[in-house]
Amino acid sequence: MVSSPKVRAPAYRSFGRSALLTLPIALWSLLMFTPTFRSSSRNLTIGAVAAILFMTGLFFMMMRTGTTYRWRRIFFVALGFLFPIGFITTLIAERGTMSIPIERMVSGDTPFCFMVTPALILPAAFARTVVFPGSILPSATNPHSIAIMIGLWFALTLVMGKAWCSYACFFGGIEEGFAGIAKRAKIRKLDPRLRLVPWAILLFVVVVSAAIYEPVYCMWLCPFKTVTEFPAVRSVQSALQFVVFVVLFAGLVVVLPFLTKKRTQCGFFCPFGAFQSIFNKINLFEIRINRDKCVDCTLCQTACPTVALSTESIREGKTLLNCMKCGACVDACKKDAAVWHLKGTEVGVKPERARLLFLYGTWGLATMFGGSILANSLATALHLMHWN
Amino acid sequence: MATGPVCLASCGPVVLPWMLTQPQGFKRHGKRLAIFLAGRFAGYLLFAIVAWSIGLAIPSSLAARPWVYGTVELALAAAMLVYAAGWPHPRCRLVDPEETLVQIGPKVRRPRSGALPLGFLTGINLCPPFLIAAVRAAQFHNLGSSLLFFASFFAATSIWFTPLLTLSWVRRSQSLVTVARMASLLLVGWYALSGIRVLLERISYG
Repeated sequence: MVSSPKVRAPAYRSFGRSALLTLPIALWSLLMFTPTFRSSSRNLTIGAVAAILFMTGLFFMMMRTGTTYRWRRIFFVALGFLFPIGFITTLIAERGTMSIPIERMVSGDTPFCFMVTPALILPAAFARTVVFPGSILPSATNPHSIAIMIGLWFALTLVMGKAWCSYACFFGGIEEGFAGIAKRAKIRKLDPRLRLVPWAILLFVVVVSAAIYEPVYCMWLCPFKTVTEFPAVRSVQSALQFVVFVVLFAGLVVVLPFLTKKRTQCGFFCPFGAFQSIFNKINLFEIRINRDKCVDCTLCQTACPTVALSTESIREGKTLLNCMKCGACVDACKKDAAVWHLKGTEVGVKPERARLLFLYGTWGLATMFGGSILANSLATALHLMHWN
Repeated sequence: MATGPVCLASCGPVVLPWMLTQPQGFKRHGKRLAIFLAGRFAGYLLFAIVAWSIGLAIPSSLAARPWVYGTVELALAAAMLVYAAGWPHPRCRLVDPEETLVQIGPKVRRPRSGALPLGFLTGINLCPPFLIAAVRAAQFHNLGSSLLFFASFFAATSIWFTPLLTLSWVRRSQSLVTVARMASLLLVGWYALSGIRVLLERISYG
């Protein structure tokens, strides 16, 4: 169903060498899921085994073929589509509906979502107030507390930078799935200024959240409320909020990705993605264009799912700040000009080593974070199918 | 002074994107921020007079609050549309590096910054600390005390606006100005919808 962008002929590694390179990830996966094996739930054990095989298998293919994008995408799309299954099922089992009544929101029963992080900073700094109706520390009813989620996000961000958006964000996978359905883009010309919109939304969300002491993105603008939870529809305002969520989801996550073959919500809307871009500045890994090899064919620009390359940036041998390090441009380049790069080293010298270093850190965390979501969601799916 | 951060947060949606659309330079920013604060001060003084003159009639003035609130929000939306989002100002059109956009209207050599009207409108905006101050001012026996109280309130809360001058050092790239204008447009929508909602509720429920 999911089609790849134009990918160069893969440079295969030997089976043994690929297996050897995969060994650290296989061991890490086993370590991550060891506690699951002690669980009495058979479904969870099956989910964990499947997640280990899935994550290790995909990493092996990355090593074997020397390509990144298509294997990462399989994981990412699976994460995007399985996450709501686990999340919605849990909500329905607990409260019988996806909607959350306002009184439960106020009492702090809402699981914390990392999307709201940038809006928390100003009110926390100036008024010592957390503008999210969740609990700061974990509790029996709400293990996804603010402190744990922010800690987890920060640890992942230090390692990944903006690659969070391509390896960890369980929302991005849904639109990447829809972006892969059509063989060719129906809409090809996109205004490059659209990539500035997430920054404008970020500025809007931060200042308005600080002014009204409310997570304005969660209350009004989050497309993913449609597939997670949303305020119970009890008034004209909550009905309007629900309509906004559904319209944004249908437009930005389903229709536009299908028509453009781009991740339109991530590239042209998500304020958290813009915030995450700032961390690309301090992250050690990046993608560079080796000008000695580049022939300005712009294949990389076409392949980029978030419009993170422009003619000017290619000329300068760089990607733009919003690069998610998904590897699409590197895999699409036929001249090996687009390369993985470790900051402080010479561009184009041992790029595979930079890729390996990046992937070990990133895939390891993706296994820990996304892998556990996959395992739990698979277990839930098996439970729903009465596989006991 | 303790309410300063809340004042800054309340005015933030107006002042922050607007300042980012202004040209770079400490002196220029200082001057515009001073004019903005002067506008805000004028709003405060006007409100001090109103607050004192209504005096004990506060309960009836509370009924008029939605009208003031809704109208000020709509006026803020209009002012931001012109001065921050830049419509239909030719200088403030969305920046296009390739200059493919058609210029609308005559070219203005020295465009107005809008510091005074924006400052005035934020000055009369009914934010929570301002309402508390208004209730206190209404309890004074003479107009002088009320004016002095609001002048002190203004001076103390304005200190919190001085960090905004650091924005003058942020390099103004085309991208940054475009982002600030796009954010201003979103805020125009926010204030307009908020104002319309308040007025509709007032009309519907009395």
